[in-house]
Amino acid sequence: MSEARSDGGKWLDAHYDPVASLYTFSACMDLADLHGDAESKLVVGDLGTGTSGMKLKVYRGTALVSESALLDLPTALAAFLMDLHEPRIPAIAVASGPFIYIYKNLRPYFKFTLPGLQVNGLEQDVWQQVREGHIDPLTLKEMLEGLREKAEVPLSVRSLHFLSLEPQQMDEFVSLHKQQPIRRQTVITCMGTLRKSTADEDGVSCLVIGTENNDVYVLDPEAFTILSKMSLPAAPTMMDVTGQFDVEFRITVACRNGNIYILRRDSVKPKYCIELASHPVGLVRQGKNVVVGCADESLQGFTQKGKKLWRASLPAPVTTMAAMELPTRGFQAVLVGLANCEVHLYRDKNLLSAIKTPDVVSGVCFGRYGREDGTLIMSMRGGGLMVKILKRTATFDERDNAPGPPLAQSVRLNVPKKTKLYVDQTLRERENGVAMHRAFQMDLSRLRLASSLTPVSSSLSEPLKMNAVVQGLGPSFKLTLNVQNTAACRPVMNLVISFLYDEHLYRMRNPYLRIPLLVPGLVYPVQTFVECTSDRGISDIIKVFVLHEGRSAPLLTAHINMPVSEGLALN
Amino acid sequence: MGLLDKLSGWLGLRKKEVNILCLGLDNSGKTTIINQLKPANTQAQEIVPTIGFNIEKFKSSSLSFTVFDMSGQSRYRNLWEHYYKESQAIIFVIDSGDKLRMVVAKEELDTLLSHQDIRSRRMPVLFFANKTDLQDAMSSVKVSQLLCLENIKDKPWHICASNAIKGEGLQEGVDWLQGRLSFIYGGLFAYTYTLI
Ligand SMILES: Nc1nc2c(ncn2[C@@H]2O[C@H](COP(=O)(O)OP(=O)(O)OP(=O)(O)O)[C@@H](O)[C@H]2O)c(=O)[nH]1
Ligand SMILES: [Mg+2]
Repeated sequence: MSEARSDGGKWLDAHYDPVASLYTFSACMDLADLHGDAESKLVVGDLGTGTSGMKLKVYRGTALVSESALLDLPTALAAFLMDLHEPRIPAIAVASGPFIYIYKNLRPYFKFTLPGLQVNGLEQDVWQQVREGHIDPLTLKEMLEGLREKAEVPLSVRSLHFLSLEPQQMDEFVSLHKQQPIRRQTVITCMGTLRKSTADEDGVSCLVIGTENNDVYVLDPEAFTILSKMSLPAAPTMMDVTGQFDVEFRITVACRNGNIYILRRDSVKPKYCIELASHPVGLVRQGKNVVVGCADESLQGFTQKGKKLWRASLPAPVTTMAAMELPTRGFQAVLVGLANCEVHLYRDKNLLSAIKTPDVVSGVCFGRYGREDGTLIMSMRGGGLMVKILKRTATFDERDNAPGPPLAQSVRLNVPKKTKLYVDQTLRERENGVAMHRAFQMDLSRLRLASSLTPVSSSLSEPLKMNAVVQGLGPSFKLTLNVQNTAACRPVMNLVISFLYDEHLYRMRNPYLRIPLLVPGLVYPVQTFVECTSDRGISDIIKVFVLHEGRSAPLLTAHINMPVSEGLALN
Repeated sequence: MGLLDKLSGWLGLRKKEVNILCLGLDNSGKTTIINQLKPANTQAQEIVPTIGFNIEKFKSSSLSFTVFDMSGQSRYRNLWEHYYKESQAIIFVIDSGDKLRMVVAKEELDTLLSHQDIRSRRMPVLFFANKTDLQDAMSSVKVSQLLCLENIKDKPWHICASNAIKGEGLQEGVDWLQGRLSFIYGGLFAYTYTLI
């Protein structure tokens, strides 16, 4: 866990400017090769102070290379290829208010305006009467208030503005506006891009926009006509788009009512709905699944049909989310910016790495920047800009950090069927268990006898182990017997060792030895000397017996194969 | 090897072969530099990003060089280490205009210098702080600071500012490298020659 909580030296710190005065969100950041020089730039819609200083900024490497004023607050930004002209340079779409401003080569190119909404007929009549001078502003106010209460079609912005005025401001407002026709407009809340007909990296893309009026539009890439319109039960706030418009696509939309809806081609209404217990604050696609960050400090995974897969708890509220994809390395994960100045990297519910940041991250974006494929760009709440590059050698090990039973436990084993042979064997073992055990014990004793295994006593009260070492070239040999009491705690006493050997061949200084008290576990070397009396170059076995004093049956026996004596006895 | 070849080798008449590895990130200008060093009539007109690696041969009065122009793209960088063993010198090229990726260049350089086939050898390393003609280019002093070159204590190294397109600064670097290599290899042969 501790390693997963630090970035583990996986990222290189390429750039950090704490005073970049860049104020933005993930939705207003994108990476694109704007100049066709194989070098990807960072395009950002800067929100400025929120009332002034809104800008479209372009960064190249560590430097700001272009900046142009925006008329209104940007809500979303996307780089997309709108035509097949060479060189294939993407256009930039900046959504703000009811408009989308399209920039080509960083110059304003086109302005798209959302279609107007139906205006309340009664409201129109009332303003008509004002224009003709039949009613005064105070009556107007009364009538409009009445309309606001019960009308099905909401009032226009102009009427709402009028209703919020103090009586002394009304005259001026009415005379200023009464000549203009009433219009009702909605605004764009989120934007995505959708490939038109091919899945290619450089295919032409449509813009997909969500509006405050609960609609989703797909726009033609070149003509900016509305190709498709879909409706949602609530106002969309975030969206993720995959597929191709002409083939099959899926638009996953998080809405202000706390639900997530999934729209498909050929259906004007949502196909699936995910009802969340807490409001969604981040939405990212990972492979075929949808990962949602919720306001209750959790991260949840769903299938593309809305089935819940998992839930992970986060240490702090989510500030922003983005997908991290490295197709060259087949890597996919989700970046989650947290309010505790960390950016976490999740693959499904597993935390792979955590990056500490000097400030709370407000926007993240991962992709090819400059010439580096694995670049992570973070904008800070205080206006800072930070760039990190994933090391070429970095790997993230898939470790399940979540508590609970390990994954292996739920894997079903592929156990084969019981065969007849197996059943017969089991029956035989059950019936002849005792005989089989005896036969085994006998074979084991035989084996011990036959092989040169270390002799072990089978007596339960005197568990002993012994091995013998013969040293020397002859005619004198030193015989060392290492005796060990293998009991856990009981000492053994009153033991003796005696030898049996051919007296024509060997002479032993001391053929009867007493063994001291044996403390459990310690090895006691018992030594004696053997002299070979024969000069014919032959050798024999010496038998060793460990006995209990006063009992004739030995506890342990060992056969020592004596080496041939290399020297001659003097006498 | 024929008898004559052997004899000329002993006499120091045959030129000593030296392998040089040309490394650095993609787009740093490795191929452009090597192309500039070739005789004018064999220079390529158009330089494309290298796939895998290219081999070029050069001759000087005493040495015969084989230069391995490796691709710097990240997916080919794991090829580099396979050529460390049989190389006697390294040319490391840096794009002085690419501030963002200076950390990546440093990371690759550090990995290179701590590799087991390089670590303990006193092989010369020549750095080209290339593309100094770009208006936002860093000076070679700045580049060597960012790469912490002063920490290289066990290898002779040298950094040159260069503009590979015009060929500026290349000769200085090549002269240094040649001096180093003749000192190591050429000198020995001159000595053998005088003995005979
Ligand atoms: N302005 C400028 N451009 C240069 C210089 N040297 C090389 N270039 C340009 O940089 C680009 C890349 O040069 P290459 O020689 O292909 O780079 P490389 O290091 O071999 O790249 P890989 O083969 O991908 O590893 C080319 O467009 C060159 O024209 C230089 O000194 N100044
Ligand atoms: Mg090259």
